[in-house]
Parts: sequence; C-alpha cells; structure tokens
Amino acid sequence: MSKMAASSGRALKSFVQGCCGCSSVILPSIARNVILQKPAVTVLARLVCTSSTLQRKNIAAAGPEKYTQEFIKKQIEEFNIGKRHLANMMGEDPETFTQEGIDRAIAYLFPSGLFEKRARPVMKHPDEIFPKQRAVQWGEDGRPFHFLFYTGKQSYYSLMHDTFGKFLDIQKYQDSMRAEGLFSQDTKQVNLIGSRWMIKEELEEILVQPISDHDCLRFIQLLERILALPYCSIEEEYIQRFRRALEVQSKKQKIEPLQYDENEVAFSIGEGRRKTATATATVRDNGSGNITVNGVDYLLYFPVLQDREQLMFPFQFLDRLGKHDMECKVTGGGRSAQAGAIRLATARALLSFITENEVESMRQAGLLTPDPRVKERQKPGQEGARRKFTWNKR
Amino acid sequence: MALTRLNRIVQLSHTVSLTRPLHGSGCGLQLGAATQTEAPMESPRAVFRTSESEPASHGEQHIGQFYTIPPSQVKTIFPHGLPYRFQQQIKTFNEACLMVRKPALELIGYLKKADPTHPSVRYVLYGERGTGKSLSLCQALHHCSLQDWLILHVPDAHLWVKNCKELMASSYHRARFDQPIEASVWLKNFRVTNERFLKQIKTSQKYVWSKREFTDEGRPLGEIVDQGVTRVKNASDAVGVVLKELKAQARPGSYRLVVGVDGVNALWGRTTLRKEDRSLIDPSELTLVHNLRKMMKNDWCGGAVIATVTQTGSVFTPSSAYLPQELLGKEGFDFLDPFLPVLVPAYSEKEFESSYQYYRDRRWIQHHTGHTEEGKKELLFLSNRNPAALERLCAFL
Repeated sequence: MSKMAASSGRALKSFVQGCCGCSSVILPSIARNVILQKPAVTVLARLVCTSSTLQRKNIAAAGPEKYTQEFIKKQIEEFNIGKRHLANMMGEDPETFTQEGIDRAIAYLFPSGLFEKRARPVMKHPDEIFPKQRAVQWGEDGRPFHFLFYTGKQSYYSLMHDTFGKFLDIQKYQDSMRAEGLFSQDTKQVNLIGSRWMIKEELEEILVQPISDHDCLRFIQLLERILALPYCSIEEEYIQRFRRALEVQSKKQKIEPLQYDENEVAFSIGEGRRKTATATATVRDNGSGNITVNGVDYLLYFPVLQDREQLMFPFQFLDRLGKHDMECKVTGGGRSAQAGAIRLATARALLSFITENEVESMRQAGLLTPDPRVKERQKPGQEGARRKFTWNKR
Repeated sequence: MALTRLNRIVQLSHTVSLTRPLHGSGCGLQLGAATQTEAPMESPRAVFRTSESEPASHGEQHIGQFYTIPPSQVKTIFPHGLPYRFQQQIKTFNEACLMVRKPALELIGYLKKADPTHPSVRYVLYGERGTGKSLSLCQALHHCSLQDWLILHVPDAHLWVKNCKELMASSYHRARFDQPIEASVWLKNFRVTNERFLKQIKTSQKYVWSKREFTDEGRPLGEIVDQGVTRVKNASDAVGVVLKELKAQARPGSYRLVVGVDGVNALWGRTTLRKEDRSLIDPSELTLVHNLRKMMKNDWCGGAVIATVTQTGSVFTPSSAYLPQELLGKEGFDFLDPFLPVLVPAYSEKEFESSYQYYRDRRWIQHHTGHTEEGKKELLFLSNRNPAALERLCAFL
C-alpha cells in the first residue's frame, strides 16, 4: 500500500514536472509529507503510466535536496558529540572547545595538500553547512499559514508590509505631536555614518527566499522614505537591522615602530613583492636622498627613467624627496617588477614616519596595495595564455 | 719615488674634492656674485654666468658658472672635438656655454705649472658615465689653444676600433691594417685646428708615398696633411708621419704640444674588426692605433697628454666599469703608468642649481612644473645630479 502510494506519488511528480518544466516546490513535498505522516491516505487516485527515462530525468530536475527539521536536529546532535570526541582526542577541555579549536584539530588530523581552501575537509556547525530552508508553509489540510503565501514571494512582501506599517506608525505619531502642538523639525536623526544598506545577497539570507534586484531597490527606497520623516528615530533599531557597518580600511595596515641604530638615526624596514621580485628597503632619517640598490647607485641600476620615477613616487607623494636615505636589496623578476617591489617596500617602510591621515591618503593613492597581477599560465592546446595556434582552414 | 709622489697628488686631489661641498651649500651663488665684475644687483638668474671667457683666468670662485666660447673659436678649435649632444645644444641655443668645474680647473692649473723641460705628464680623466669627462677635456684644450699650443685632438678613439667599413692592408708594413676613411677625416679636422703650425713645422726626412709621389725634406708639414687628404690610400701613413714629426720636434724652445685623446682605453682593448679569414684584429695591428700609442709614451718633453677613459662607446666592457684600472686593462695601465688620475664627479648642489638656472634661462624647460621647487627636487632625484641624465631629462620637458 505504502509502496503503491510512493510510486504513484513519484510518478505524478515526474509526470507534472516533465510537462511543466519548472521546479515547483509543492509537489514533492506533498508526496513526501503524505508518505511520511499518513501513509494510509492516498490523495491521488489516478495512476499515470510513465517510462523509466522520464523518472531518471526528473531526479536531476528536482532542485536542491530538502532537509527536514528532524534531519537537521540529528546533525546538530551528532556535531556536538563529535566536537566532544575531538576535544578528548586533542586533549582539550570539551566544555571550552571553540570552532577555532575544531579547525585546528581537523587541519592536524586530516592534512590536505589541496590548493582550493573550500575543498579541504571541514567540520562546522550544521547551520553553517546546510543551507537555510523554509519550513513547511502549509498545514495538513494544505492551507498555507501565511496570508501572503499566494503572492509567491511571501517573506519579501510581508517585510514590505511591516516596514510600511512602521512608516504609518511614524506618521500617526507625527500627527499626534502636531495635534498636541509639540511638533518640531529638528529631532534626533538616525546616525548613518560608517554603515551601508544591505545588499541583495544579505537580504536573501534573511528572508530565505530569492528576490530580484528590483525588489531590493524598492525596499531600500522605502527605508529611505522612512528616514526622510522627522520622527524616524522612533524606529531606529528596526532600521539599523538593515544596515551593515563599513570596516575602516586603514586600521588594517600594520605599522612597524621606528627603530634606532647606533648613531641615534631613526630607520625603518619594509618589504614588498611584485610578480616574482622581492625587495627589502631600509629607509633612514636625516638623509640627503642617496639611494643604493644592491650596493649600486640607483642611477646605474635603473638606467630607465620609468623605473626611477617609480622609486620617486612614495617620497614625492609625502613631500620628503631629499630627506631620507635608502638602501634596498632586490632579487628576482625583471626591471619593472623590481622597481614596483621596491616602491611597495619603500611605502611600507615610510609608514613608520608619517601620521594616520597620511597613511590613509597613501592607501587611497594605491601605494600600499600589492599588485596581484602575475603571469597567467599557458593552457594546453594554445600557444600562450590567450594566444591560440594559427588557424588553418585544412 | 714617482709612485709615492703620485699617491700624494692623488690624496691631495681627493681632499680638495672633499672640501668642495663645504663651500657649495647655501650661499654659493652669492659667493660667486661678490667677486664678479658684473653688478651683483642683477637678476639672480644671470649669476650663473660669468664674463670671463678665458679658461686661464678662471678661479675657484667661478666654479658652477657658465662661460661662453665665441663661435669663431668653436669652429677652429673644435671642428670634431665636441660630443654630439653638446653640438646639438650649441645649435639650439645658438651659443657654446661650458660650465667651469673643478676637474677642468685642476687640469688647467697643472698645465700652467708644468715645466716644459720635463717629460710630458699624462693626465687621465675618469669617472662614471655622463659626468663630463669629454667636456672637461675640451675645456682644457680650449685653454691650451688660447695659450697657443699645438692641439692634437682625437675626439673618440673608439671610432677607430669598431665599425670600419673599409679596411686595407697597409702598404708600409705587411702585418698591419689601414683605415683610410677615418684617417683622412681626422687629417682634415687637424688641418682646420692647426693651420698656423702646419706652415711653420718642416719635415726632417724624405717620405716616399709611391713610385711617383714623395715629399722632400724641409717641406712644411701642411704638404703631408694635404697628401693624406687627397691620396686617401696613404692617409693612415700620413697620420703616422705627422705624429712622428710632431713628437720629434716638440722641444722646449719651439711650440708646445698637447695630445688629447677621448676614450684612450680603446687603444688597449679589443676591436670588433675582423680580417678576411674571420679572425679578430688586435688593436696593435691597426696603423692608426699603433702610431697613437707611440704618441702616448712620455719619452718626449715640452707638452702634455690628456686622456679620458670612458665606458660609453667601448666594446666588450661591462657598463659598471669606470676606473682606469678596469677599463685600460693590464697592458694599457702598464703603458700609461705613471699617470695623474683626475676624477670627474657628478654635479654638486651648486653646479646642479647653476645648470638648472641655465636651462630655465634658455627657456629649455617648458613644463610649468619644471619652474617650481617641487619640479626642481624631482629633477634632482631623477637625474641623481648626473649631467648627462639631467640633460636628457630636460630634453623632453
């Protein structure tokens, strides 16, 4: 009986999906729900004959695999037990074993030589591994729970509905203030500095539902309309939920402290790399603009003007042209790569001598960014990285 | 004994070069202005020039300043002597301005004090590429010509050991090779420079050029030069004869001879010329080189030999070599030893400032940033105070 139901359910599913071509969420869940909870009741009375090929195709077209709540809960229990086992194995305290500890343990126990980090063995909480899926949205009788279910994008439209509700609340509050005579334009404004609106991917993550760019735009526009009202600070925490903080980039720069050598002269060392060239630069204070590269004067080492201009750039930007002496060692690469490597090393060395604002301006000028371009590999069947062999008609 | 004396001279020259920057900082320009004949109240841009056009009267206070050579002198003294880029600069600016620098002043000082009865002293100018060795040599030769010396100027000895189109076997000596074109060109320029002397000096023996041509004893040297110019086949031998005669007759009583050779390391290096059987020619197998080498010996008195060793234009030498030892090789060094080395350094602060002001005055620097302080600092950095580098930089500004 159950087998018949199962096969009929599968058959119907395969028939419908073969006809429509679009993956509908409804049918397989109905079938499975029916099978799991009430195997005795067959909702579908008709038996449709299908061939085995159709069935095979439809497994591929079923969409991503669905995980039930019990399955996820079981995975979480297994993960916790596994975590305690791992802590025991590594000799650490199971109570205070963190995710970093797990990562270290896995990297130790299963060393992998793969370059792609995402292909290496990983043990994480099931919430991070299994994609968030919507819980079943209709009851046993097939009636959906949410009133906006039949719009198709229920979470998105419910979010828009709630947000507009907040908008109306603020307007009502405004009217009440006006009625009492306490209305004023200068009220507390929401602080928007240092944060940005959520992007479409983050919104999708919250709603667990795919939305389009247009939808995201409309939502942001609605939030901006709310912010335009004078009394928007009432719903500040609701709005802040949809903003993400921007990281301050310049804090990421690691600035070496100044060192002093035996003549009480301050100096600083920086390293830089470009393509295959590595350079180490020592910048000394109280100098007169002498620059030595690998023991040779820079005019002799870089006869080309372009390379010397690269060397000059950090000093000229900070307006310290004749004030520092520099010695550098550089190996590898060609003449342009070596010049670029020395430029980066100099910029990093000069970080110790300057103020924070100057650090920020240097970062924006691009002096502190290592150039990621390297030589592209040659592909088989082609002469070079992009160049194909000469095309012969015959 | 001679070596210890030379060492002391070398040390002296080094100490003098070390003390130079102490004077050159800050108020250098005003120092020059105070002792000048021009009114110091003139615009500061003109302070880098000097009105003294005689190198003999240049002193230390003129260092860093430009003096002009009148065009007539340029044509007679330097028909082929100046470096190519400088010749282009003369054409552009319509004047020949040289900067008074310490190495040239030193050299001129030695020449003034040299005793004509002693064997001729050999001076070797050396320095990194583009620091001004050739122009210092030209300055010294200018001074000598104004003092009425006989000038024997080989503008670039490297031209004689490479890229020779016609190479013929010498008629005089079976194993040697002649270079008719180079020899005749040089003789023409030599004639332009020393017209006056060519009539005075007489040959001391008879020279037979071929079955029908010969030059008698007692004829003026100008005839030999004409012979070499017209009969190009005998040009190299004519050069050899001229050199021999000049050397033999340069006594303290008669004229004073100065031999200026640019790129003397070419005489002892390697050549790029090959014989018919594709084997390399040694420099000593070339007539011109052989005769010039005899000139460089210090077995004659009444004159001086000024030479430059340079890597630019030399073949088979690494570009980082600039010391006489490296460039001359063991053979050349032993031949020229003992000599007086004169280091030609890059511009000092004052000289750089002066050169920059000169370019600005001549409106050579067109870019608006070039006229600002930052622009000047940029130029200083990018050229590292090297004269040739600065000239090439400003060329496209």
